[in-house]
Amino acid sequence: MIQPSQDAGSESPAIRRSLDTIPRSPHAIDPLRLVAAQPARPSWLRSAAPSHLDTALRLTAIALLLRPMGQWFVRPAILGAAALLLISPRALRMPAIWLALAFAVAVRIADDWPLADNHIYLLAYWSLAIALSLRSAKPIATLGFNSRVLIGFAFACAVLWKALLAPDFLDGRFFRVTLLTDPRFGEASMLIGGLTADQLQANRGALEPLPHGAALLTPPAVVEPPRLRQLAALSTWGILVLETTVACLMLLPSRRRVPVFRHVMLLTFCLVTYAFAPVAGFGWLLLVMGAAQTEPHERWLQRLYVIAFLIVLFYAEVPWTGLLLDFSRSS
Amino acid sequence: MTARWLPATLLGVVAIVQVALAQGGGLTPWKGGGFGMFSTLDHAAYRDLDVVIDAPARSETLEIPASLEELAARAAAYPGDALLRQLAEGVVARERRYNRPVTRVTLSVWRTEFDPLTLAATEHPLRTFVYEAR
Repeated sequence: MIQPSQDAGSESPAIRRSLDTIPRSPHAIDPLRLVAAQPARPSWLRSAAPSHLDTALRLTAIALLLRPMGQWFVRPAILGAAALLLISPRALRMPAIWLALAFAVAVRIADDWPLADNHIYLLAYWSLAIALSLRSAKPIATLGFNSRVLIGFAFACAVLWKALLAPDFLDGRFFRVTLLTDPRFGEASMLIGGLTADQLQANRGALEPLPHGAALLTPPAVVEPPRLRQLAALSTWGILVLETTVACLMLLPSRRRVPVFRHVMLLTFCLVTYAFAPVAGFGWLLLVMGAAQTEPHERWLQRLYVIAFLIVLFYAEVPWTGLLLDFSRSS
Repeated sequence: MTARWLPATLLGVVAIVQVALAQGGGLTPWKGGGFGMFSTLDHAAYRDLDVVIDAPARSETLEIPASLEELAARAAAYPGDALLRQLAEGVVARERRYNRPVTRVTLSVWRTEFDPLTLAATEHPLRTFVYEAR
């Protein structure tokens, strides 16, 4: 008599003996061969359990929903796909959906070319990279590779423009003028640069060009307190150093401590830059791509990327420089 | 292996085209997928586009109407023949809808440059395009 085992997963010696003694027909097919003969499941279906890869994919979908893009003929498709990705774990790992997303984003870029921002291009490449990675034999490694190369190339291009091609970045003009004239940086210029609201207004008037190349004999002077000049210089060189470091680290082989420094520098770049730069969509995308480079056991690092994603959301939705400015004035 | 490099290859190709168009065709470095944003003052805020309409007994500057704003923004960002012609054709079509005569549209794209020391701003012509309406 066969006694039931306490542990359903283990076979008692009695059961094993009884299985071994079952007479087999010469035409019977070995059950193990039956399993092996089944066609291999696509890589995106192999693991139904949530993995750290899903975090990066879901955050990408959230970023798509946070900043709707495109005209009526692509916007519903992008938003619908993003919603589907969030509610269905199966859809999240379907390459076809990510490929369709990449196509929809490419259509959005072509529709009003050349007005799309650079992170929309990066989003198209990233969606394509996800689709290709989910089809590959090693989805996590392939996506991590694509993340590194895409960030590395994008940052290398940014450095090329700032350091070599643009005529007005290294001499500080870009940030000197931008801090004065771009309304999105006005509060930071007053808070950190020490400008008064009247000085800012007067500077904006002084930096308005006369039409068609005309120039005043004695143009009005632009007021730049020392702190503002220091802020412009710090922004110029700080951004250049950060972007160069990130580009180099992403393109270096993953030896020794390189992966750790990649995460440190990418997180630093995002948390510093997007506190001021009004392109949260770019920040979210970089953080999502950074999260895709984490190893499965690096849960604390994955959480750090999620927290950084939320901080960039906070930067974008809370006028923190204005609130700090009001607070400093009232106190 | 090839598929693995496809996204990065696309990024590289688009970036090379963008640099070529920006250096030789007047494309603003901020646009076109070359990641030149926040690197130069040569962007939409410092580009200007004038539209002058000519016809017998008529020569006037047109304030860009809302219906043509996107076309004008695209043409200012990349003042190439195709986009400028599209804008000029839009201007002609609009004028004719309002039964106003038009024989020629002149589009001028200007770019503001800032003095490295004083930051004094001056406009410089980037491209002038003349479209003869038929």
